[in-house]
Amino acid sequence: MSLSQRQLALLLIAPGLILVAALFLYPLCFSLVSAFTGPEGGFSLQAFGNAFELYSSDILFTIVIVVTSCALTALAAVAIAGTLTLGENPWIVGTLRALYRWPLFIPFIVAAQCMRTFLAKNGLMNNSFVSLGLMEPLQAMSYLDWRGIIITFVWKQTPFVALLLAGALASLDRATLEAGRNLGASRLRILIELALPQVMPTLLVALVLSFVTMLSVLSVPMMVAGSQPTMLTVDMAFRINAYGDYATANALGVITYLISAGAAILYIRHGMAKESAP
Amino acid sequence: MSRVASLLRASLAAIVLAAFAFALIGPLANLALWSVAERWYTPYKLPVTYGTRYWEQVFRPTGDAMASLGTSVWIAVLTVVVALALSVPAGYALARLKLPVRALFMIVFLLPQAFPSVAIYINVARIFYNLGINGTILGVVLVHAAHGLVYSVWIAAAAFAAVDKDLELAARNIGASPLRTFFTVTLPSAAPGVVASGIFVFLESLDEFTGTFFVGVPQVTTLPLLLYNAAMGGNYQVASITALILLVPSVLFMLFIERFLRADVLAKVGA
Amino acid sequence: MRILNLAYSLAALLAASPLAAQTLNVASAGDQNMVDYVKDYLGPMFEKSHPGVKVVSVGTGPGDAGSQKIFEKLDAQKGAAATDFDVVVIHQKAAGTMVKQGLLAKYTDKVDTAKLVSSETAKNSLGADVSGYVIPMFQSQTALAYNADMLKNPPDNFAELKEWAKKNPKQFGYNGIKGGMSGVAFVAGWIYAFGGDAGKLIQGPYDPAEKAKWDAAFSELKDFNKNVVITPGNAGTLDMLNRGEIAMGPVWVDMFYSWQADGKLPPNMKLKLASPGMPGQPMYYAVPEKTAQRKLAEEFIALATSPQVQADGIVKKFNWYPGIDAKNLEGKLDKAAWDKLFTDITPADLSRNGKPFPIAPYFNDILEGYEKKVAN
Repeated sequence: MSLSQRQLALLLIAPGLILVAALFLYPLCFSLVSAFTGPEGGFSLQAFGNAFELYSSDILFTIVIVVTSCALTALAAVAIAGTLTLGENPWIVGTLRALYRWPLFIPFIVAAQCMRTFLAKNGLMNNSFVSLGLMEPLQAMSYLDWRGIIITFVWKQTPFVALLLAGALASLDRATLEAGRNLGASRLRILIELALPQVMPTLLVALVLSFVTMLSVLSVPMMVAGSQPTMLTVDMAFRINAYGDYATANALGVITYLISAGAAILYIRHGMAKESAP
Repeated sequence: MSRVASLLRASLAAIVLAAFAFALIGPLANLALWSVAERWYTPYKLPVTYGTRYWEQVFRPTGDAMASLGTSVWIAVLTVVVALALSVPAGYALARLKLPVRALFMIVFLLPQAFPSVAIYINVARIFYNLGINGTILGVVLVHAAHGLVYSVWIAAAAFAAVDKDLELAARNIGASPLRTFFTVTLPSAAPGVVASGIFVFLESLDEFTGTFFVGVPQVTTLPLLLYNAAMGGNYQVASITALILLVPSVLFMLFIERFLRADVLAKVGA
Repeated sequence: MRILNLAYSLAALLAASPLAAQTLNVASAGDQNMVDYVKDYLGPMFEKSHPGVKVVSVGTGPGDAGSQKIFEKLDAQKGAAATDFDVVVIHQKAAGTMVKQGLLAKYTDKVDTAKLVSSETAKNSLGADVSGYVIPMFQSQTALAYNADMLKNPPDNFAELKEWAKKNPKQFGYNGIKGGMSGVAFVAGWIYAFGGDAGKLIQGPYDPAEKAKWDAAFSELKDFNKNVVITPGNAGTLDMLNRGEIAMGPVWVDMFYSWQADGKLPPNMKLKLASPGMPGQPMYYAVPEKTAQRKLAEEFIALATSPQVQADGIVKKFNWYPGIDAKNLEGKLDKAAWDKLFTDITPADLSRNGKPFPIAPYFNDILEGYEKKVAN
């Protein structure tokens, strides 16, 4: 019995597909069904009502944190990637290149533990600033709240976005950039007006991936910030662990899907705008 | 441009760089400091007593850390086996064979990265409960493998696509069967990419926290879970030491990948 | 087909559970100190007297969430032949639920040390009748810990605390209702103080109309929260006290003393049991109905509640109040160790201001009210 190439191909890809279907698609449908099912069993939005009643401020909190983190990440990544590509001082570029990738493979939970003790009121950061004379001891404040979460996310995700961006910038045609330089434009201007538009797709892909990643992290908000307000991931875990309340937890899950879908839609819209532009 | 101006510029850049280095290395140095702090309470800025007591506690043979490390590594190894066993055929099919609706399959393998995963893990845990595999190594390996499959399929597909078709044709021409060609020509050529994806999956599994938190607790304790429990229990020394242990494979991988990760390869991601 | 063989052996390895002569699985809800108690102290002791038995200690996490996980596990395995846990250490609310669902075995008549317990909590768990199903492991108490150097005159009751927090913003910290029971205890104490009839909340009967009376108390708590720090959990509060980031916060008395002994809290910290009262709770030893190791489980609990272990382990090592009656510890414990427990909080304080948690339905109403009206 000989298989046609088609059948062989399908056979080879089947096990992988089955795993993804079983461990992702099926639970995904499960979560949607659970979120939209009322206590009696029919279709109902009660779980969503419950979720809003209990966690509306956390929903806002989550959106603000993730959007701010992505914006700051984008800024930092552009600055780093731009310096790496357009920088002229070999010392600076070399040091930057050696340094910036360090947080890349550090897992979120390790980053959370680092930040937990680094950003505290008596943590290493504040203590260092006080020792250097940059601030008074009484001015020291704890960053272990929403700011700590944003700092941790930006710290962790910037190398990732910067890496992808640097790669994209490196493969640009230098002729256009040189032309800009010859005409007297500053490097900042070249970066923003010439280079960045060309690598926008890469930047947006990296940001969308970062966005979804940040919405999936449980360890950072649990370890770095207090318990309220907190991100939706912690609320979901709390709902399950303390009450076994799958309906509300899944309603919160659907809300996170919608948030990340919003981000993805922005990417697609930008991509479509590019396609239709002359 | 006068020398003074350029000197000023350079020093400004140096200061910014120093601040950047502090922001990057500071938190990690903090970890090292906590791992050797035996007694540390307010208002002291540095530990009151230094010592390696907690290292001994963490590494004692009956201790949790050794068992968790063993569990973590064992789970990671199994995850790599499962992930590669699934992604090598899938990657080959996607790269080389005529697959109907190929684009759709590629998207299916990308989907898990597009949805926030906590909600997924909650329901996977529920399903596993009903199947009786919640809290088992098998459950955790499946979750890690599904998570790692996303990367390894894409990398495997890229690796196989990059194999020189002429080499394969040459092998077929001198009479080798398709299976033989695959094992003697295609797979060895794609090996670096496959190995890289294997290492990546290993690392992801070792560091994985959220899925294990829902599926593995309480019987399966991996190193990240130990870190979390220690941190939430206020035992920062143990947490810091565990974090340092977790850093070792990551740093090794980073140094390894320095040699292989090329900028132009990365430029093609997502395009 | 070497690959096939390899696959089969891998599959067998994956599915196999560790083979031991006999394994006793002890699942504890609560902080890490609960798990360590079994792992480092009780487990080895039991293994020595029972050669061939291995004690495995797992923790399911702090607070009621940890007990909920145990409940879910037992519930999921209701139809199975044997459950994964042989001994469980659970909080009061979960104990009531588990007894109602028939998940626990009635075992205390087989254990001699059960006769040493006369406290009400062994029979009544937040309003649910649990007699015969549980033996208290310890009694614990929450209190306000404060830095005696920074705070010469700590507030005596909740009303004074409210004022103090307004005048000293961000100097008080507690963990809300997530991540640990010390914060939950604080909220319950707040409702006892400002929510009307504390006695009714503790004794019952349950009246759903009662929660309307708490609206004023909850809105005051919401204002109070603006002046305080919300910490990640039990250990989070203690840690912030240690680092001088807050000056006062609710803590479990046993954790407080243990941390001080470990050099994780400055020696100048003290405790205060605020009026009209702060909750304490026992944790219970229970045996799941479907355990395969019934006899071993009972022997383990007998060991854990024996006077000597209660004296050395519970009181001396871990600074809890004993679960069995205190008079059984006479002669087993030196006076210094006993007095240490009552340094800042005298037995008189305890009997006046140490209260149980509200009965389960009120308890749930308080938690829900907090989430809807204070946290949101």
